[in-house]
Amino acid sequence: MRTAVKPLSEAVKGAACVVLALVAACRADPRGTPPTTTPADFVAPVNVDTTGLPGPVQPVFYRHDVHAGQYKMDCRYCHYAAEVSLHPGMPTMRTCMGCHSIVAGDNPEVQKFRDADLSDPNQSVKWVRVHVLPQFVHFPHMRHVKGAGITCQTCHGPVQEMPRVYQYSSLRMGWCLDCHKKNKVTLDCTACHY
Amino acid sequence: MSDGLDRRRFLKVLGVTGTGAAALAGCSSEPVERLIPYLVPIEDQVPGVSTWYASTCRECPAGCGLHVRVREGRAVKVEGNPGHPINHGRLCSRAQASLQGLYNPDRIPGPMVRNASGQFEPIKWDDAIARITSQLGKVQGSRVWFLTGHETGTFAGLIQQFLAGFGSSNRIAYEPFGYEALRQATRDVFGVDALPIYDFGAARYVISFGADFLETWLSPVEQSLGFTRGHAFADGKMGRFVHVEPRLSMTGMSADEWVAPVAGSEGAVALAMAHVIVRDRLARSSGDTGVLRALLNTHAPADVAARSGVPAETIERLAREFASQGPSLAVAGGVGAQHGNAQLTAAAAHILNYVTGNVGRTVSFDAQATLPGGGYSDLRRLVQAAAGGQVEVLFVHGANPAYATPPGLGAAEAIAKVSFKVSFSRFWDETTTAADLVLPDHDPLEQWNDSQPRAGAYLLQQPVMQPVFDTRQTADVLLGVAQQAGGRAARDLTAESYQDYLKAAWRRIQGSVGDARPFDVFWMECLQQGGAWRETRRRTVSLAGSAARVADRPWTAPEGRFALLAYPSPVFSDGRGANRPWLQELPDPVTKITWSSWVEIHPDTAQRLGIAEGDLVEVTSEAGAITVPAYLYPGIRPDVVAVPLGQGHTAFGRYAKDVGANAYRLLAAEPTPFGGVGHYAAVALRNTGAHERIAKTEGNPRQMGRGIAQATVFAEAASGKIEKHEEAHAAEVPEKIQRLLDEVQQEQYRDWRTRGSYALATAHWGMAIDLSRCTGCSACVTACYAENNLPTVGKEMVRRGREMSWMRIERYFEGGHDTPLEARFLPMLCQQCGNAPCEPVCPVFAAYHTADGLNGQVYNRCVGTRYCGNNCPYKVRYFNWYDASEPGAATFAWPEPLHLLLNPDVTVRSKGVMEKCTFCVQRIRGKQHEARMRGSPLKDGEIQTACQQTCPSEAIVFGDLNDPASQVSKLAQDQRGYAVLEGLNTRPSVTYLQKIRNVVEA
Repeated sequence: MRTAVKPLSEAVKGAACVVLALVAACRADPRGTPPTTTPADFVAPVNVDTTGLPGPVQPVFYRHDVHAGQYKMDCRYCHYAAEVSLHPGMPTMRTCMGCHSIVAGDNPEVQKFRDADLSDPNQSVKWVRVHVLPQFVHFPHMRHVKGAGITCQTCHGPVQEMPRVYQYSSLRMGWCLDCHKKNKVTLDCTACHY
Repeated sequence: MSDGLDRRRFLKVLGVTGTGAAALAGCSSEPVERLIPYLVPIEDQVPGVSTWYASTCRECPAGCGLHVRVREGRAVKVEGNPGHPINHGRLCSRAQASLQGLYNPDRIPGPMVRNASGQFEPIKWDDAIARITSQLGKVQGSRVWFLTGHETGTFAGLIQQFLAGFGSSNRIAYEPFGYEALRQATRDVFGVDALPIYDFGAARYVISFGADFLETWLSPVEQSLGFTRGHAFADGKMGRFVHVEPRLSMTGMSADEWVAPVAGSEGAVALAMAHVIVRDRLARSSGDTGVLRALLNTHAPADVAARSGVPAETIERLAREFASQGPSLAVAGGVGAQHGNAQLTAAAAHILNYVTGNVGRTVSFDAQATLPGGGYSDLRRLVQAAAGGQVEVLFVHGANPAYATPPGLGAAEAIAKVSFKVSFSRFWDETTTAADLVLPDHDPLEQWNDSQPRAGAYLLQQPVMQPVFDTRQTADVLLGVAQQAGGRAARDLTAESYQDYLKAAWRRIQGSVGDARPFDVFWMECLQQGGAWRETRRRTVSLAGSAARVADRPWTAPEGRFALLAYPSPVFSDGRGANRPWLQELPDPVTKITWSSWVEIHPDTAQRLGIAEGDLVEVTSEAGAITVPAYLYPGIRPDVVAVPLGQGHTAFGRYAKDVGANAYRLLAAEPTPFGGVGHYAAVALRNTGAHERIAKTEGNPRQMGRGIAQATVFAEAASGKIEKHEEAHAAEVPEKIQRLLDEVQQEQYRDWRTRGSYALATAHWGMAIDLSRCTGCSACVTACYAENNLPTVGKEMVRRGREMSWMRIERYFEGGHDTPLEARFLPMLCQQCGNAPCEPVCPVFAAYHTADGLNGQVYNRCVGTRYCGNNCPYKVRYFNWYDASEPGAATFAWPEPLHLLLNPDVTVRSKGVMEKCTFCVQRIRGKQHEARMRGSPLKDGEIQTACQQTCPSEAIVFGDLNDPASQVSKLAQDQRGYAVLEGLNTRPSVTYLQKIRNVVEA
């Protein structure tokens, strides 16, 4: 269900191709705003049946529901740039090992990267990108996260309950504009397209 | 809307028929995208946030300060360092294009060695160092030579030490434009070995004898800034500038008066002026001018008039103006100081300054002795030694003698005889392709280094990113060789790395600038600000006895031949910039020609010889011949022709190889009396009968009464009565109708302001461009290429008018027949019209008016009908006819690794999309984000467009027209202000301020 799109940062790749999103247009989300926290006693299931899970298979089965849900880690602990940058930032391998050199070292998923050589760039985990915007869209995370105080879940859905992350919102322009209209903020094309 | 079908309905209809095609196009499958995080967090890098590093530009010896913008670990833009003592935040085209040196796809990817069959093959760095060590062990020190370009910093000292360690002292520095004449003249007239420093900002009257001080001569950015501050019209005052050269150069185009003497007689004109000043006691005598009596007596205006073709009255008038309108300044340089009699030209300018009392006011002398090594005469020594078999090991760094010397010198042949030649070049240039061992240096943006362009200025370079290729800094290679060789070299050069060596040198520099803090504090501060500088006491000079012996050896072209001026190209200089596609595509400021060489011929001469524009003309001198297309140029004497240097490479990568012709081939190898290359030659012209269409961006060189680039004279401007140009072809609009139009317009604006984003708007972005400041240098054009990911399209597409230059400098000529020839420049970019003709014709709403007054262009909406481009009266919309963004396409503009310079904040447009300037909307949005995040409103001047930021003459001002206190609002109300093609009622947001010419009333 992902669309044919290219990343913001890799400007070179991109032809400004006409993106035809294959997902159905959802003008207003019937599900409402997802919860931003889980109950205090939320426990992520130990075993998950991965066959039916939405979202792409990742090289490491990283469990957002364990980290953000059960252990209540702040999203911004790993996505450290979301308040200051256009991009949210991806955790470095050292950030992972900061905890995993002490805890859960015997987890088979952790073992996939725990002995990685941090001086060899090829040994970084090659995550499959879930939320992709075309290169002709410039989405500033900091304006939304810090400037407007919007929760991560508003766009990304209840990630803290997702064993595997999938694209929750359509990320289509109409979906952006619905929110902008509702909040009476800019509807100018060159706010995002330049 | 009164017509039957409104835009939205039209869109709907179009949508139904267009769906099928869109669905097909949208079904291509894209590969899965990966997010690859860093392994270890990088201290000063946040993804999506730019980091700026201070460094120093090394594209020419001037030493401008840089701020390099780095995103995700790669340099994406260079800008001037605002706190820098030399360039004050401004840069030229060549500095802007330095990124294309860093990411040039034709850089040598790693160390190479020539094998037995004569081919180059890769070699390991350690093996390469071992080879050098073993070679040096086998030969006598006196047979080891090291050729460099202009090096003034720590690296120069390291080379001396390195050579001394092997018993050699043969270090040669060769810079094709080494200012030998100026240096010799300074020694003759003042008895000191120093380069003069000119204060253009303080001078109210400047006379230039051939000096292209806004282009390549000495420190062009610093001089542009100073010159416009001293010369441009402000507060009812302005300076005056007279240019004396047989050809009207780009610098000359900024002059208020152009005097065209016979080629080679510039110095005589200057001496005649000095003669008048001394004879009539026009200036307070600043010393004993008695020693000059004999020299000046032989240069009476009447005698010089006969020789130079400049009327005696003109010389007398200029002399009186020069003495009375002080502080004044005379400069001699450029190609005018590169001919057989150039020593006199330079000396005459010194004398003229001296007798007028300018020395110590607008002219001062640096306390630092100049360029070590000897320039061309030392290079000749090397070539003679090599030809005689006395050179066994030759290191070449930063020089390309096989290209940038007259072929009669035989540099290439002599160097071929050297048994072991090591090149440290980053590119496969003409000298490097003949080397035995090629050890590519880091790019200046990848290395630690420093330079001292003048006394008191210590400028640092720091690596702004990881090296792109497997290169190694030459200084580190030399240190490695010294360590391995042992002996004296190893004892002298003990530093682990060049960084350590440099730091040790900077401990000494810290002492000499009188800084007593801990070294680490000093070092960090220098890294932050780009170096250390202090005011130095300038040397005081007085007239030397040798001034009397300045010789006048008139140089004239023999009868029936033309005097050729081989001048340094404003963008390629001596040819080192020719492999940068931005510079190749940048229209020459004077002729507007791209990707080519040419010969400039006066239209009358051309008519006499039966030559039309584009005819391939064979230019023959005693030294050689080249064949280049003719360009008919009214700004040149009929007995003179001119060819730019810098093109005609036989190697040097895909962008430079086989483009144009090498004008060095016309120059004599015999050095001038002062030891330089003579850049004047006597040539014959022959029309070969062949023809090519010149790839130029010039439309009509005349304005045809349209009042596009307007100018007025100083007397009018000072009196405050400026006449606006009357639109020649605009129909007379009755006042009643005009009022009605205004009302409709205002109603429309009112209507807009109540809707959606428009209701939120606070700003109206606008620009003011002062034509009395613009020098036509085109730095803004290259800055725009760099900022906005503009593709280069190549010669053939330029011929078809398909260049993608969002910003261009239009050049118009006025007069030339009965009145003096006058050139005007006009930077033309999207005018962001308030009543834009492009917007209503867009069927898909891709061209639309933003709430803050821009003509937005939404690339992903554009379907490429080109209606907007057709409807634009300014020709500032550019269509992507071919795919410049598709790797693999023949028209791909960013072959790897050139794509790394793309600005991640700007969409790369694809085929079929119309694009244009939007006042760097990405910068506007970026600064708006910053302002919102810090919680305070934007300040005037906080947003700078790329063109404004780089402009070396501060001609461009950008800001909010709705803020009455902003600088741009004030300029928009200036009495000189006008809009281009005002009669079309497009209501542009760009205000041009008329050029003011300080002419003498006839």
